[in-house]
Amino acid sequence: MSETVGSQRLAVRVAGRESGDVAAAARERADAPVVEAGSTGVPGVEPLLAASDGDETTFYANATPADAEAVADALAGDGALPDGDATVDTADAAALPLPDLDGFGAERSVLARCGWIAPTNPDAYADAVGFTDADPDAVVESAGGVLGRGWGDWSADEPVGPLWEGVRERDGSPAVVVNAHGNPGDALLGESDPFSVLEGAAHVARVVDAVQVFVYVSEDDEAARDALTAAADAYPDFPVDVSVVEGPAAYRAAEPTMAIEAVEGNHRLEARLRPPGPEVEGVFGEPTVVHTARTVAHVAAAVRGEPTDSRVLSVTGDADEATLELTADDALDTALDAAGVSDYTGVLVGGRFGGLTTDLDVTPTPDALDAADLGTDGVLEVLGPDACPVAFVGKRAQFAEDANCGRCVPCREGSKQLTELLRDVYEGSLDRPKIDELMRVMESSSVCAFGQHAPRPVRTGLQEFAEEFEAHAQGTCPAGQCLSDATGEEPARAKP
Amino acid sequence: MSSHEPEPHSEFDVPPLTETIAPGTASDPDVTSAETATVTVDGQEVEVEAGSTLLDAVEEVETDEYVPALCHYDRQDIGPRSECRTCMVETDEGVVPACSTPAEDGLDVSTDAAPASEARDVNLDLVLSDHNLRCTTCGKNGRCDLQDVSIENDVEEPRYGVLDDRDEYEPIDDTSDFIQIDRNKCILCNRCVEACNDVQVEGVLRMEGHGGDTRIGFQNGSDTMEGSTCVSCGHCVTVCPTGSLVEKGIEDATTIPLPGFNQKNSVGKVVESADVEKGPMTPMKRDQVTETTRETGGDEERDWP
Repeated sequence: MSETVGSQRLAVRVAGRESGDVAAAARERADAPVVEAGSTGVPGVEPLLAASDGDETTFYANATPADAEAVADALAGDGALPDGDATVDTADAAALPLPDLDGFGAERSVLARCGWIAPTNPDAYADAVGFTDADPDAVVESAGGVLGRGWGDWSADEPVGPLWEGVRERDGSPAVVVNAHGNPGDALLGESDPFSVLEGAAHVARVVDAVQVFVYVSEDDEAARDALTAAADAYPDFPVDVSVVEGPAAYRAAEPTMAIEAVEGNHRLEARLRPPGPEVEGVFGEPTVVHTARTVAHVAAAVRGEPTDSRVLSVTGDADEATLELTADDALDTALDAAGVSDYTGVLVGGRFGGLTTDLDVTPTPDALDAADLGTDGVLEVLGPDACPVAFVGKRAQFAEDANCGRCVPCREGSKQLTELLRDVYEGSLDRPKIDELMRVMESSSVCAFGQHAPRPVRTGLQEFAEEFEAHAQGTCPAGQCLSDATGEEPARAKP
Repeated sequence: MSSHEPEPHSEFDVPPLTETIAPGTASDPDVTSAETATVTVDGQEVEVEAGSTLLDAVEEVETDEYVPALCHYDRQDIGPRSECRTCMVETDEGVVPACSTPAEDGLDVSTDAAPASEARDVNLDLVLSDHNLRCTTCGKNGRCDLQDVSIENDVEEPRYGVLDDRDEYEPIDDTSDFIQIDRNKCILCNRCVEACNDVQVEGVLRMEGHGGDTRIGFQNGSDTMEGSTCVSCGHCVTVCPTGSLVEKGIEDATTIPLPGFNQKNSVGKVVESADVEKGPMTPMKRDQVTETTRETGGDEERDWP
């Protein structure tokens, strides 16, 4: 199979979307195999052309068909490879050799194959790591301690083993929902390494003796949907029925019970009451395991015997988007350095409703993030040097107001009142006790994690940027973003 | 993915099958206890039978503090919806809603713990913040659950105010001959939707939208009660805890008689009946169009502040 590269000496790879023309140009000239890989997680450099010659790979960022032709000619023996943007020793043909370019980081474990192998070719995956067919007890033994990743995981920050045991012991026809909705890390794995996602899901399905696996994606993540669908069709002997299900792109739709509602085909998504959770009554009332794509990819890695304490993180916001990996010992600022971000007002750590901070000397483990009042959803949203933190947290409260499911009062009405209380700051009223009381009640009494976490940007922002809030109450915006001038005129509208 | 394509109705006009009903609400799990349980409420031991929630235990005894449980209904297969969260109590496992937490043996419930008390008070005020609190013009004045619990909870001035922005008022839907809807008083408890779909199996009402736009609508997509498939059974009205759904003819029944001041002009905007010859009283069920398009978006950002 020409797409399979394996250990061949010469190869051309083109990673990322919009890479078809580049790959076609290379195919026209080259005798060497040309692989179209999925995204590397660093869309800013894509299409990324990688020319491997022996033990060395040269990368060409934002490659054009002309670049591809030049590289193909060189590999065919007509001269030396053109100068690239980075050159790396390639010892391991199974993993992307990390180029010294912004956004790639220093190590990759579950992301190792993203942007390197043909994502939907089972032979490529088999060559790279191989499909593992471990028996259920061995899976529990090796992967039961993996911590669930992401806000869409029903065992977020908890070991997955006890969840599986509960479902395994319960009567019924269990289901597994792989929640690949929304988070850029989950979408990247779905797009670029769908077999590792499906392999992890197969392990979980065997452990709980599931009758059905649903892979749930956002309708906006077409590349992930297509890759996961193709991989599910091509998967050798997937143990149970597997189907890829689309849900609406809205952020709330990734909440675990809303994911189940979407899988069931409900036209309007709403959080379900709990307890009991999906492990007791999930898809069509059957016991159900809900894990994110990141979680099951880590499960697959654990079964292969690889370490699983690394963390997939995505840098977003006022920065070039990049999804990379940190070890449990790396501080978060390592990720920003790797993404080429050096100047910022603050970073919202841990998803849409993460914590706002300037102190990034925190490791990405749930315990450390929790101690720092930060979120664990693996997104580092950068507020650039000119950004106003007061406007930012206000807009985040407004997002909670606009994007909640509408079910429970503390979230639906609380987020509306929280937004109003923050607007009042612009009128000179900063009522901390009233804001704190409201946030406490939203956190303690909302039905799901959406409402429970929605106040966190505000709470942490008030703490980290107390002076900026006071200044706004006095009629000035230190960042100059919110108020046209200090004369007390009408505040200018911030950019959406 | 569910492949439950609704069976097309035959050419006969038959009541809708339950599978075609799309109420727009989540399929909640069973939230009652499996066995008889003994729980402690404010220091008093209470034994409740299988199928109970903590609220059943709370209602058995004289509690230290009032637990409004505003949206709770728990009759005729309606609820618990656990939407208003005004029944929060403290247990060994933290603050939980009493109406939708199974009564488990040995649980210790406290109604006067500060976090629970605060949550009940704040959530009741949050309900009021989105309510048109014009009780003197309301047909349900004096027979309104929201009014009752607000009085019982000593609410004098709700901390977030009440809905009094006339730009935000939805018009009163006065189009039906039998039922009037004033969504400005709706607290989205969902009782009417469940009465319509789960008890009467009529499939007329649904929950629609999200965030601040969440509202009671019609499964056939009609904008008005008149255009819906309502058969005027009135069950939704009997379960409504506020003046949001009232019987026509008594919508001013309890209005304080001030000249020129009534339920309709208190809001200012009313959708009246088109007053056309209707033929059959309601549209035929086979005309029913079930919403199948999924909700989308809703994550776009607005200007700030």
